[in-house]
Amino acid sequence: MNGPRALYHMVRADFLERVRRYSFLLTLGFAVYLGYAVYAGQVTLRLDKYSGIVNSAWLGAVLGLVSTVWLTLIGFYIVKNAIQRDRQTRVGQILATTPMSKSFYTLSKMLSNFAVLASMVLILALAAVVIQLLHGEDAHIDLFALLSPILILGLSAAAVCAAIAVLFESLPILRGGIGNVVYFFLWMFMLSMSVTAMVPSHPVSWLHGLGDYTGIAAVMGQMHAAVLKIDPHYTGASSFGIGPMNAGATKFLWTGVRWSAGILAARLMWVGVAVALALLAAVFFDRFDPARGGWRSEQKEKPSKKPLAGELALPQAAETGLREPARASAAHLTTFTRTGPQMRFFALVVAELRLMLRGHGWWWYAGAAGLFIGCVASSLDDARSGFIAAAWLWPILVWSQMGTRESQFSTGALIFSAPGAVPRQLLATYAAGVLVAMLTGGGLALHLLFTGDFAALGAWAAGAFFIPALALGLGATTGTRKAFEAIYTMWWYVGPLHHIPQADFMGTTAASSTPLRFLLFAVVLVVLAYSWRTVRVRYA
Amino acid sequence: MQLAIENVTKRYKKGVVALRGFSLDLKPGVLGLLGPNGAGKTTLMSILATITRATEGRVMWNGADIARGPDALRSVLGYLPQDFGVYPNLNAAEFLQYLAAVKGLDAATSARRIDELLELVNLTEARKRPLGGFSGGMKQRVGIAQALLNDPQLLIVDEPTAGLDPEERVRFRNLLSDLSGERIVILSTHIVSDVEATATDIALIAKGTLVAHATPEALLQQVERKVWEWVVSSADLTQAKQQYLISSTTRRSDGVHARVLGDQPPVGAQPVAPNLEDAYLFCLSQHRAGVPA
Repeated sequence: MNGPRALYHMVRADFLERVRRYSFLLTLGFAVYLGYAVYAGQVTLRLDKYSGIVNSAWLGAVLGLVSTVWLTLIGFYIVKNAIQRDRQTRVGQILATTPMSKSFYTLSKMLSNFAVLASMVLILALAAVVIQLLHGEDAHIDLFALLSPILILGLSAAAVCAAIAVLFESLPILRGGIGNVVYFFLWMFMLSMSVTAMVPSHPVSWLHGLGDYTGIAAVMGQMHAAVLKIDPHYTGASSFGIGPMNAGATKFLWTGVRWSAGILAARLMWVGVAVALALLAAVFFDRFDPARGGWRSEQKEKPSKKPLAGELALPQAAETGLREPARASAAHLTTFTRTGPQMRFFALVVAELRLMLRGHGWWWYAGAAGLFIGCVASSLDDARSGFIAAAWLWPILVWSQMGTRESQFSTGALIFSAPGAVPRQLLATYAAGVLVAMLTGGGLALHLLFTGDFAALGAWAAGAFFIPALALGLGATTGTRKAFEAIYTMWWYVGPLHHIPQADFMGTTAASSTPLRFLLFAVVLVVLAYSWRTVRVRYA
Repeated sequence: MQLAIENVTKRYKKGVVALRGFSLDLKPGVLGLLGPNGAGKTTLMSILATITRATEGRVMWNGADIARGPDALRSVLGYLPQDFGVYPNLNAAEFLQYLAAVKGLDAATSARRIDELLELVNLTEARKRPLGGFSGGMKQRVGIAQALLNDPQLLIVDEPTAGLDPEERVRFRNLLSDLSGERIVILSTHIVSDVEATATDIALIAKGTLVAHATPEALLQQVERKVWEWVVSSADLTQAKQQYLISSTTRRSDGVHARVLGDQPPVGAQPVAPNLEDAYLFCLSQHRAGVPA
């Protein structure tokens, strides 16, 4: 096998398959939005009271940070489907019969992921030039200062993100929703490693650079040093995020990142880490062997002690000679007295609930029960600000099925050819999702009832209605579980865990509780899911 | 009970036309829908099953347009798509119970019917096993059971015997014959012998148009005295295939016995009784040559 040629075609085919899907336009749209957000001042970088004059060096640094921080988060969820696609399209079964090695395959998937992420980085690089032309406080374009942070930081971080996505897809336990949640916390951890690597008064050392996955420390360390030169009292405080934080900032001149050999070596080292991770993924990759299909299916697929009738049909026939197959007769089938669909809505809710709760191990139920008891037995403050957040993160994989199951398991044609199926089944799914929220978070409701805190109970109810609505809305419109798993985890971290009023859908404190807002959101999301599905079914 | 397909055209994005002015009237019985790959069979089935809508034309169920009020048809429809999935964590009985609830069927009757259907498709012993562990043929039998769940008046089955072993295939054919009395059954398949065994009517479709709609006997009559058995040597077979339309070949000790379709037999060929496969190939070749059926 001609290695480089085969690798090129593997990456090319996978990349083309991706870019020819409509979802790739959304991916590029997201990159364009990030560029616009910087242009519109929605993404800002500030060092205490200082912000840079908008020249090539400053814009390059800001967009470099955008590419390395946000693309490594959102990008993971965008590219974590390369192996899954080969599994779903059954192309994997064909590939598995070729001489291609497992490491070759995982490396090609990592490169294909990288190509997608790199295209987003390139969009940001292009946006950088446009932004400076439209918005720059210094019209002179220094292409090296403008593009080098975006390309060096963005591409090296993209390589690591691409490899982690392949590794997660290769590990059965991280392949699905659990991996989507785990990655968010891994990203947080790696980001904190980068931040820890920052030493305000010194340029980043080679050693610190080893822990700086995103390259933030390389840029921010030099910026800190530049601010210290004009303000010896500068404490090293800095912020990078969403919001108009640059208002009233004192401007300083940032001349650009000095790319020392140490910084470049650290970036190269992370590219090496990416390749190593891709090769490590090969160890766990199942090469599309259905017998190694997943850690949960392995547990369930116990061999039947007794052979099944259908499976024995041919051997029996061979042993006894030719015989007339058993005549199937429809004559004795029970006939129906037709019943209106509305009479069976409750049965459908129960069926949906059973479908949602089926397939989890005993540990899942034990965990949910433990959190329920924690909500009841702990102090009201702990239950409201701590246990409920955990209790409503626990069923994330149950909710993420909502609105996506029909496309995931190709049952749409069976379900949507039933009378009134779109509204009935959608509402039954939503009702089942609300029941899951009420069951898993019910400990806090009991606690609040006992203490008579009805305002907090209202906030709890709003959360119970909002979470499944978010799952249904995102599931029905995107057709994938990942959207809810990623967005909900981030929202959960920002809102309920940090009690931010605009985002705290659980009402974890009295101050951050805004139940009416989230009830309204719930209605909007359910209507959105219904409208989207109606259009999809009608114009399929 | 009547299903009328009136001048239906289906145009997909990028200008692909799957059906062109397709019309057909159906009454109780089994309609075998035959046609080559890409003929438009699955598109037609999807329109009849209310999964997708015609771009032009209409489909009338007992006089009512199914695009305007699909639920009237859906409540009496059984549909087995060509590609369908199952929920791997449910067992066969639970999956059928779920679909019974989606179809709005009464609980007690559907419970009895599910037991009977599982017996009918030979899955009683496997009813408690998760569907994720089922073979392709067993999943197909679950699909057949779900299509019969609501005692349908219109049963649409797309490649129903795909993946079934020979015994189960014969079993399913018998079942279709049983069901055909007081309902309309539409059977789409590439397996001509399935149609031969069950269909009371046959529709041939090619490139989105109706080539022929007739009883099996009428189709066979079209190729009466047009099928010949001709013995050729293996060496001459390639040339023979270029000269004549050959529906099948069988190697024997005296050479290759070829079934030749055509008005004029090759020298030395003997007339034989036509079968449905001969009729199908003959009609399609006539259609390609622009001869009206």
